[in-house]
Amino acid sequence: MNKITIKIAGLILGILTSTAQLFAQDNGNEQTNTKRFKKILEHRILAGFNFGGTAPVGLPNTIRKINSYRPEFSPSLGYELSYRHTEKWGAAIAVKLDYKGMATKDEVQYFPTIITTSDGGRFEGDFTGKNKTTVRNAYISFPISAVYTPGNRWRFNLGVYAAWLFSSNFYGTVSDGYIRNGGSLGEKVNITSATFDFGTEVRSFDAGLQGGAAYRVGKKLSIDGNLNWGLRPIFPDDFKGMDFPLYNIYLTLGVTYKI
Amino acid sequence: MKIRNLCYLATLIVSLHACIKDPPINPEADIETFSIDKKYLTADVFIDQANRKIFLNLTPDAFKSGVTPVITTSAGATVVPASGDSLHLDSSTVKEYVVTSASGNKKVYTIQLGGMGIWAWDFETWGLQDHDRYQYVIEHGSSSFWSSGNPGIALSGVPKDPMEYPLRASADAYHGKSAAELVTRKGTALSALIGIKLFAGSLFIGVFDPQNALAAPLKATQFGEPYSGKPLRFVGYYKYQPGDQYQDKAGNIIAGMKDSCSLYAVLFKGTTRLDATNIHTSDRILATASIPDGGPRAAWTRFDIPFKITQPYTGTEKMMMAIVASSSKDGDTYKGAIGSRLVLDSLEVVK
Repeated sequence: MNKITIKIAGLILGILTSTAQLFAQDNGNEQTNTKRFKKILEHRILAGFNFGGTAPVGLPNTIRKINSYRPEFSPSLGYELSYRHTEKWGAAIAVKLDYKGMATKDEVQYFPTIITTSDGGRFEGDFTGKNKTTVRNAYISFPISAVYTPGNRWRFNLGVYAAWLFSSNFYGTVSDGYIRNGGSLGEKVNITSATFDFGTEVRSFDAGLQGGAAYRVGKKLSIDGNLNWGLRPIFPDDFKGMDFPLYNIYLTLGVTYKI
Repeated sequence: MKIRNLCYLATLIVSLHACIKDPPINPEADIETFSIDKKYLTADVFIDQANRKIFLNLTPDAFKSGVTPVITTSAGATVVPASGDSLHLDSSTVKEYVVTSASGNKKVYTIQLGGMGIWAWDFETWGLQDHDRYQYVIEHGSSSFWSSGNPGIALSGVPKDPMEYPLRASADAYHGKSAAELVTRKGTALSALIGIKLFAGSLFIGVFDPQNALAAPLKATQFGEPYSGKPLRFVGYYKYQPGDQYQDKAGNIIAGMKDSCSLYAVLFKGTTRLDATNIHTSDRILATASIPDGGPRAAWTRFDIPFKITQPYTGTEKMMMAIVASSSKDGDTYKGAIGSRLVLDSLEVVK
């Protein structure tokens, strides 16, 4: 997992280095254009839907089959303030209300889980069978981006985000299988159907990388795609309901309207 | 690097199938079946998966001559001694079967022989289960005779403490230093997820099969051990104090309703155990003895109940006897009063 984080960090560093170079070139250009360009503040309304998953990066081999996946109703609504420092380069900060959700049905084998309950109970075992999970978490998020506007139509942004959870849902059922008490050598207990709810365990803070592109289709309206890649597992380290970390990886598809 | 990340993204969003890895190597090492011809048995073979024991009740002839079990294991696992090897029980060595899973995990099952022949118990010796920390009765050197719902309750995430389980030893004894105490307790946060709000204390002759504990709990309690001859009376001592508030399955308090206990013995023919679905209704039942009412008894109370014969029998056929006790009579449907307490001591089936 760390390896992947490092790779992503490497990728970002690479992009930042190349943007820095672009920036330098651009500054060179800017000097000839200083009379035409004015540093300005821009305001935009952002609206869209989040598609993606609260998912492991690389599926563990205990997940045998994904039977279905669908995005939950996950709107994203926000306001962005950007500052164009030069004609092509600027920075932006936004505040967004982001729902991030999905529903999956999958089949797992020897899937280790430890469930702890509010009454002090604890159950540890390996589950084999079907699983249905619904996730719908709502965050207030603050993306900060470097913005590159090469021409009239396109606008690119890349940066980071920090997000605070204000409502969480993470629940589902396990069915048509069995769990082994204590691990794979424990006794087998058949499960026809049982529910789980890990909603209260979801971490209240998420942070990650985000970047995307907008294409202007009207005078003030653009269509916008933005990938948000969480780098912080959504459950704390002491949560053992799943033995692998889950990340919020969502693509926001929507529109931006310049006001 | 970029391509890899794009692959993750594509995988996650478009087709999660693409990144399904090779299946894990099977880590399971169960003896799934251990079959011996029924004519050599006085009770069906039971594999205690939680404690890795195989309970055998053999006829005297089979005990002398040995048997040839046919064994099946988890897929890909191997077992030593192999299926089809003969098993001789006349020596004093512990008989073990070692199963090795496809992934290399090892699990050792030991053979536990039944058939104590002494039908009187004082509940003086108790064992403590290693993994889940519940108590169990050891009588006449055997832990495979009395069982309880404790192994099932262990699956519901109760704290690993003997006093959290509804069946345990108590120093409040009629005779000797301990008795069996059954206390109805509230369900756990986990058990509530499958609709269980209450666990009655239970103690019974037979075995607990955890495989069905969640899916079909009434079939998890398997009643009966081999019996021969004609029982006359079921005798013993008990105390009972019902809890304050009777609740239904959903956990609603029912005003005015009092909890009561149950305590009965059932003799039936055959070698297959009865369970909570048919212990009162099976056409194999030969005789029964039950305490007449399950009401409160503040002080130690002696009971002495003659067996009532429901169908004629000779006493020489293959038969089994079950004794079943519960601190809440309707505990099998998760109804009762939390705190109901039944204490049992010096039980006996008199021939």
